[in-house]
Amino acid sequence: MSFIIWTIQLILVPVLSPLVIGVIRKSKARFQNRRGASILQPYNDVWKLMHKDEIISADASWIFRYAPYIMFAVTLVVGASIPLVASFLKNEYTSDILAIVYMLAIGTFFLALAGIDTGSSFGGFGSSREMTISALAEGGFIFSLLTLALISGSTNLFSISAFIAAPNLLSALPIMLAFLGFFIVLLAETSRFPFDNPATHLELTMIHEAMILEYSGKRLALMEWASANKLLIFISLAINLFFPWGIAQNLSLGAVTFGIVVFAVKVSLFCLVIATIESTIAKLRFFRLPDLLIVSFILNVVAIGLII
Amino acid sequence: MRLSDIEKYVPKHTSARIQGTAAVFEVSVSALREISDELYHEKKLSLMLITATDERKENGCFKVWYVFGAPEENICIVPYIQIKNTFEFPSLTSSILEARHYERKIQTFFGLTAVGHPDARPIVLHENWPADVFPLRKDFDWKTRPPEAHGVYEFQHVGGEGIYEIPVGPIHAGIIEPGHFRFSVAGEEIILLEPRLGFTHKGSEKLFERLPVDEKVWLSEKISGDSSFSHSLAFCQAAEELAGIVAPRRARYLRVIYAELERVANHLGDIGAIMLDTGFNFGGAHGARLREKSMQIHQRLTASRFLRRVNMIGGVMKDIDGKEKDRLSADLAILLKDFSEVIEIAEDSSSLLNRLKGTGVLSYEIAKDRGVVGVAAKALGIIHDARVEYPYAAYHELAMGEIASHKEGDVYARFRVRVQEVYQSIEIIKKALTQLPDGPLAVHTEGLSFAKNALAISIVEGWRGAIVYFLATDSSGNISRVAPRDPSFINWAVLGSAGFGNVVPDFPLINKSFNLSYSGSDL
Repeated sequence: MSFIIWTIQLILVPVLSPLVIGVIRKSKARFQNRRGASILQPYNDVWKLMHKDEIISADASWIFRYAPYIMFAVTLVVGASIPLVASFLKNEYTSDILAIVYMLAIGTFFLALAGIDTGSSFGGFGSSREMTISALAEGGFIFSLLTLALISGSTNLFSISAFIAAPNLLSALPIMLAFLGFFIVLLAETSRFPFDNPATHLELTMIHEAMILEYSGKRLALMEWASANKLLIFISLAINLFFPWGIAQNLSLGAVTFGIVVFAVKVSLFCLVIATIESTIAKLRFFRLPDLLIVSFILNVVAIGLII
Repeated sequence: MRLSDIEKYVPKHTSARIQGTAAVFEVSVSALREISDELYHEKKLSLMLITATDERKENGCFKVWYVFGAPEENICIVPYIQIKNTFEFPSLTSSILEARHYERKIQTFFGLTAVGHPDARPIVLHENWPADVFPLRKDFDWKTRPPEAHGVYEFQHVGGEGIYEIPVGPIHAGIIEPGHFRFSVAGEEIILLEPRLGFTHKGSEKLFERLPVDEKVWLSEKISGDSSFSHSLAFCQAAEELAGIVAPRRARYLRVIYAELERVANHLGDIGAIMLDTGFNFGGAHGARLREKSMQIHQRLTASRFLRRVNMIGGVMKDIDGKEKDRLSADLAILLKDFSEVIEIAEDSSSLLNRLKGTGVLSYEIAKDRGVVGVAAKALGIIHDARVEYPYAAYHELAMGEIASHKEGDVYARFRVRVQEVYQSIEIIKKALTQLPDGPLAVHTEGLSFAKNALAISIVEGWRGAIVYFLATDSSGNISRVAPRDPSFINWAVLGSAGFGNVVPDFPLINKSFNLSYSGSDL
């Protein structure tokens, strides 16, 4: 049983992440009165790209070549280190708040470098914008997790999840504030509205897409897959740290099954929320994005102030 | 048209001949500047077109024609100069700025030097085209394949710390026409934007010279595909004037209906695309859906989604019968209802409005100086509309109401002008359908002959703005010169000004709010 649950923990993020993208795209299509592609289409896309030829610019250095592997590896490790369907799994090595934040930052760092590496003007734009946004998002990200750490008295994500899932909780307001802050960071870090438009074809407006514009074939597949992983990681953090109710707390078949079901339901709901946002508002003007990230930071500062 | 009406525009001791809706008179090269200044600056006529003809074989000279529009009298005032024994003509650009690109074009295509022109660079033809080959001269054979010239094109450069250039295009990510944009930016802010066009140059003007008359109509439909009907309408009207025939009343009403249908379809597409470019997906999806609906109506009415093969010299080929009349009215009612609902939701979205308002503001002075036309002009309160000023087809019988206009000149104003025009066009179509007279679709055109040594000018308000066609015949009555002017040719020149000071990620939105034709500009 323990073996099974650990296997789930390790492979869940990469296995499910394309589905998350598929569900969001499908919901967006429905919002627009379109039928939309199958929710399994992102798997087909990855498969297709894996079998395509690859073109790498002659000016590309090792950074461009290895960045997709680094990105993907980072998301694999982080995906295995965060609470997904069970909070009782103890991982003392990589499940620390700071470890998670900065492992993800390594991924972003290499992604941004890869964007500039080939010297294309769009890649440079994407990297510069990504750095602006992730520098501003970092504060909100750390402070929102710190709020939870202060409440639960631990910086281990599994402990936080288990603590907040406990029903004797009185600090709902700071948690909700921290969640709002975290949610803004989630949208920024995963290149969703109102920060970035994952569906656009306009190079001049892109952030994430501009950085991976030069990729093709297998590396593009890895890049796409890695960013899908990242999205699922952030969604999992959101639901398992801020709304952990229903997560499996012990190693019994019933609890784990229930945990899996609850996880699926919550992730789907979250996808719907993202799809709703992307269907009902326009993207923000680039220079208004820092304002939103500052709001995230302030919300978290207020949340911490409420605790102390 | 009586001569006394236009007397005030014609200099003393000059005899003007009236040809249809144009008053033509020759001026001497030395008097040109004074006369054109008077027409443009004092009489406030608008410059519609400057073009040239090569008549060396027949009259031993080039002629340069200056077409001014006088909306009050609904006539074009056309002074022209003869260029004999020289390849130079005086440039008007220093006093009439909007002459700039017309003169560059004459310089590039006829090899006539505009003396005193501030920007001597060739236009449309690229650096690979030899500088001494002039395709619109009559002695240039259309099949000639000149050697590659390997010239260099000089972009404008901006110096200074932290400024860098981004080349964008000519191939773009969407399925759109090719064009190159050179941005000089400081961080995200656009310091200079230079569009570089000419990638869709097809030699249309040369082709017009040698195609038979029927095919000339078809070619005019291809000048800018999304304005197929307006372009062919402008061509046919000018040709009808030369042939001395008038399209039957029913045909003129049908032309109004088709022209407005074309406007509705394109505006719907643009309105959706503007919303899509801000990421407002709901509006984008519905804009595309409504445009598709209107294209399907076109298909049903004329068997062409772009209303091609509808116009002919002498009338139209596709009728709208009684049954179709009811069906079209019903379709329009549904379209109108859907459109109103979409616009209501869009106008309710603060995030959308925030992106549209204040973005891509075009300054009034620049627009005035450059003679900006169409949607971009109306969005600034420069109110010109050929349907009102130079009524053609059946527009004078259909009260159009006020011309849509705004003051701000930003993306939102251009968006709103389109919205207003959609409502207005649907009204016009409804009116035209109820008043649709009986009668033939076209006059008999067998043995059609054109006036000799004559010219005709036709102005049609396409959905982008005024489309101008200049047709001239030679001494045997063949149409020897067709000079189409798409509104894009004028408006491309100000896109850079509208982009100035905005952030780079807003440029696609600004560009979309103009939605200019590359093909129509490059010809």
